[in-house]
Order: sequence, then structure tokens, then C-alpha cells
Amino acid sequence: MHEIIRLQSLSKVFPGPVVALDRVSLAIPQGEWMAVMGASGSGKSTLLNLLGCLDRPTEGQILMGGTSIGELTEAQLTGFRRETVGLIFQQFHLVPYLSAVENVMLAQYFHSLADEAEASEALARVGLADRLRHRPAQLSGGEQQRVCIARALVNQPKILLADEPTGNLDEANERVVMDIFQQLHDDGHTIVMVTHDPHVGMLADRRIELEHGRLVTIHTHDLVAAAPRTADQS
Amino acid sequence: MLPRLLWKSLRGRRSRVALAGGALAVAAALAAALLSVALDISEKVARELRAFGANITVVPRQESLEVEIGGLRYAAAAQAAYLAEVDLPKLKTIFWGHNIQGFAPFLSAPVEAGGRQVLLVGTWFDREVVLPQGPRKFSFSSGNVREPESEGSRFRTGLRAIAPWWRVRGRWVEDLPGDAMVGKAVAARLGVAPGDRVPVRASGTERTFRVTGLIETGGPEEDQLFVDLAAAQALLGLPGKVDRVQVSALVKPDDVLAMRGRRNPQGLPPEEYERWYCSPYIDAITYQIEEAIPRARAKAVRQVAEAEGAFLGRLTLTLVLVSAIAIATAGLGVMATMTTTVMERRREIGLMKAIGAEPRQIARQFLLEAALCGVAGGGLGTVIGLLLAKFIGRQVFQVPIAPSPIVVPFVLALAVLVALLGAALPTWRAARLEPATTLKGD
Repeated sequence: MHEIIRLQSLSKVFPGPVVALDRVSLAIPQGEWMAVMGASGSGKSTLLNLLGCLDRPTEGQILMGGTSIGELTEAQLTGFRRETVGLIFQQFHLVPYLSAVENVMLAQYFHSLADEAEASEALARVGLADRLRHRPAQLSGGEQQRVCIARALVNQPKILLADEPTGNLDEANERVVMDIFQQLHDDGHTIVMVTHDPHVGMLADRRIELEHGRLVTIHTHDLVAAAPRTADQS
Repeated sequence: MLPRLLWKSLRGRRSRVALAGGALAVAAALAAALLSVALDISEKVARELRAFGANITVVPRQESLEVEIGGLRYAAAAQAAYLAEVDLPKLKTIFWGHNIQGFAPFLSAPVEAGGRQVLLVGTWFDREVVLPQGPRKFSFSSGNVREPESEGSRFRTGLRAIAPWWRVRGRWVEDLPGDAMVGKAVAARLGVAPGDRVPVRASGTERTFRVTGLIETGGPEEDQLFVDLAAAQALLGLPGKVDRVQVSALVKPDDVLAMRGRRNPQGLPPEEYERWYCSPYIDAITYQIEEAIPRARAKAVRQVAEAEGAFLGRLTLTLVLVSAIAIATAGLGVMATMTTTVMERRREIGLMKAIGAEPRQIARQFLLEAALCGVAGGGLGTVIGLLLAKFIGRQVFQVPIAPSPIVVPFVLALAVLVALLGAALPTWRAARLEPATTLKGD
């Protein structure tokens, strides 16, 4: 399968120094649903931030669709993020004074042109056709997360990055959100999802586990393999 | 989307917006009020200052040296020159006749009163004067002909008009030929009080006056005896004569043109001469008085004029400084509010950047929000300020302050500028926020 992301000996060191990621190498084929697992502080969110072009690695290289992220200027990185990545957050991060449809339109506005009909359609895809005019405070946690998913999808990104998408949801809403993820996966979206919930992780095609910033195990269809420190995995 | 975003953002944060807008409204109100007052104050304050005495003295032009001590002119009797009382209404026919607020003629001479020598001063206390009628046209070498508004046919003037601040124990003389007012020192010397009679002898003629009031001024007037001008002229054998006229005129503070005109008005280029002549500088008014009254010499009481000019200058400077402080305070208020707003909206900014907003888009939104606060706060403040100016005018100067057309656009522009300057630093910080850090909530 065509490879969309390749990480080569990726490290991230924060001042301290704190080694958040330690020489992680990985390849993700297009259309794969990958779960990133590990204990708190293992480097999951740091990896997701690097993939989402929200941060830059200290060492190593990220290739996304053939583009080397490290070589982009700040403005180019913003543009690349806008075009390539859809972000889904545990905390939803919806703008409180905007309605559901306006929150989705916000992503369109920063991408190109806000289109209310298209934003409404994106919300309808996640089952919120009747909640367009509701503000975040008037929506349940599950509904807010679905608005967040619609916002991530509206610009048709190549990669969906989700940070603990069910972390703030009850079981019923978790099931609804995961059904949406399953549907997106079936439609061919590439999904990288950080989770520490094994049940959620099991839904992915592949689970990788981080420990102290290092890639320690890769689970593929119930097969468990020790991860080589520097070799690519696919 | 941007107008929608701005509208929702401002509406969603009403209390913060009200705080920033309120700070701007207060500053704009103060700026509009003080600016309106400052622009319109010169005439109002000058009018108030006129109550403190005449600023022009008109005397007869004469060749010999004349000395005046304590209000008494010392000159050889044969050489003494006088002005004609009938010429005085001409003072209101000069180009700036409208600015002549009042005038009073004087005829002074030492006389014997109650067995002692005192200075007798004849004057108009409160006189209605009939003004010469007919068109007043002023032609200039440029070909321009100017015609000031008509002054009406009657004008009430006299000592009361030019010296309303005098403290009078008893009452003012009401132009009755047999009444007199005496200075405090004279009253003490003669031992008279209001209601008493004083015999006055001069040039072999004696006349008795009834004292209506005692004058306290702290000046030479306390050593004088004031009677009606006609009575003094009869006593002194000088009918229709006056030796001095004090004039109270509304003038504007001197500027460069006034200085140049003072040295030699005829030497000014024609356009400048016309501008000088048609400006109410004190020297332009004295020049016009000398043109109107034959053999008159009009002198500016420079101390009064300069004190007025300096006072007006300081007053205007004070108003400008207070406005500047108010505006600077509002700017700090906006900055504090915007800084708090940026702190509160860190996650929102982080999210916007995470979903693709560029720093300039974040900056544009924050600056537009600030500008809208500036327009709203500035607009509200300007309306309040203009009302405040009217109130100040009525309460302080007893006249309404006329709003200047420049105040509204100037104060609005100033409010927007202050809002933008106040928002600049917080906006710069907002645009630089790292999305990865802010979304974590750090």
C-alpha cells in the first residue's frame, strides 16, 4: 500500500532536558487506522503534535506525502497543516460563542472560503443535522466531539489525527464516535489516533506502543512484535 | 465569515467589550468635552475676563509731555487737551464695534470737598447711548469691502459696565446729577457715609452732592470722588469735555501676525493688513479707535491684555493635558482588557492556529475587534462629551459651548487609534502563541 507518512529516527527533546521522543522510526500506509498507545508521559501527544505540524522535531525527519516537514518555513508549515491534516482533540476545543455550523465554517474560513451548506453537510455526516445552530454549551460531550470531527473533515484532509477522541466521553458516546471513525476508515481515510483505552485501540488496524519516548511494540491483527529501534515498520 | 466572527466574538464577550468600550467612551467623552471647550473657550473666557476692568485707555493726542499720577493728569492748563463727549458713540462704529463691551468717559480735577482737597472724577455710571446709524463699510486695497453686522441703535454702558467688580457699600449712582460715590479713603478723611451730603467747590462754584455709596477697590479709586460727568463738567467749566475714556473690548490673544501689525500695520502687505485689521487683536482695535475719534490716542493696557493671553494659553494647555492624560489612561485600560482577553482566549487562538490560521489572520481579528470597540466607545463618548461641553458651558460660562465640526471625526479617529495602540502588544503576543502549548492549556 502507498506510504503516506514516514518517520526517520525522530526525536523531540524539551528544555530540561526531557526526552519526549527517542529515535522513533515508523511508516504509515495510506488508509491505515493506527492507534498510538502508552502510559501518560510516554510521548503519544508529542508524536501527534509532530505529525500535526504543530511542533518541530529536535532530530530526525518527518516525510508526509513526500514532503520533508523539517524543511518548511513557519508559514509553509501552517499552509501544509491546513491542507493535509485534520485534528480531533480530547477537549474538543470548540469556540464557545460560535454555533456548531460556525465552528465548522471557521476551519473552512482559515482554509479557503466558508461555505455554510458544505459545513452543514459535514455535520449531517456525523449525525448532527438537527444541531447546526446550537452553541457548544448546548451540546452533549459526544455531540461536541462530533462537531470537532466534522470540523476536522470539512477540508478533506489527507490525514486525520485524533488525540484521545473518546477520553472525555461516556460509553454510549464513545461507541457513536468510534462508529464514525470506523466509517471514515472504511471510506479510506488515514487515521492516527492516540488512546490509552485498549478497547478503542483494538478497533485500529495497527497499535503501536510508546514507553519513555521509545517505540517498544507493534500489534498488527493480534500479532505482537518487538519494535526495532531504528528500522521502519509497515 | 469575518464579520460574523467579529460580531459573535464581541457579542459573546459582552462584559469585556463593555469594559474596553467604557474606558474608551470615558476618554472620548473627556476629550470631546475638553476639546469643544478649548476650541470655544477663548471668546467665553475673554468675555469673563472683561469683568475685571478696561483693557484700552483712550486719551487726547497732544504734543506736550503729560504725567498722570493717581488718576490725575498733570499738564499746563493752556496745554491740556480733551476729547469731545459727543464723539464717544463712534467707538461702536469701528470694524470691531461689536467687541466693544463697554466704555466710560472720565473728567478729573482736584477740587475742595468738605474743606479738604480730593480728586473729583466725573463719569457715566449707567448710561444709554444712542449710536450713529447707517451702513458701516470697510474697503481694503485688495478690493474687498467688508460690512460688519449692525450694532443696533442704543447701547448701555458706563462705569458699572467696565468695573462691575467694584465693591460698593451703599448703592451705585444712577446717573442723577446730585449723587456721588466716594472712595473708602476719601470717606474716612471727610467722615462721610452713604446718605450724607458733601459740599464740593471748584473754580469758584460750589455744589452739594448726596453720597450713595462707598467704593472699595484696593486701587486709586479709593482716593477719588465720583460724580455724574455733566455735573463735573459744569463744576470745572469744561462742558462736553472728557480727558480719558476707558474701554473694555473682547480681544484675541496676540500671535505672530498681531506682533507684526503692532510694529507697523501700514507696512504689512495688503492681504496681511486686511487679515490683521479684521482680527480682534487689541492693537487692531486701538488702531480703529484712533481712526474713528479725531485727535484720540488709544493705548492698550498691555498688562491686562498679556495676562489674559497668558491665562487663555495656560487654560488651553491644561485642557489639552487633561485630555491627553484621559486618553492615555483609556489606552492603558484597553491594553489591560486586551491582555486579559488574550489570556482568556489562549486556547481559542491556539485552536485557530492549529486549524490553519496564520498570525496575520489572528492579528487582523484582534485589531478589528479593538477598532470596533474604538468606534462604539468613541461614538458614545463623543455624544456624551458634546453634552458635557454644553453643560460645562452653561454651568461655568453661562453660555452654551458650540460643538466644533472638527471634534466628532477627530475624537472618533483618536478613540480608534488609542484602541489599536492599546491592542497592538497583546495582539502581537496572541499572533505568536504556539498552538501545541496553548491547546495543552499550559
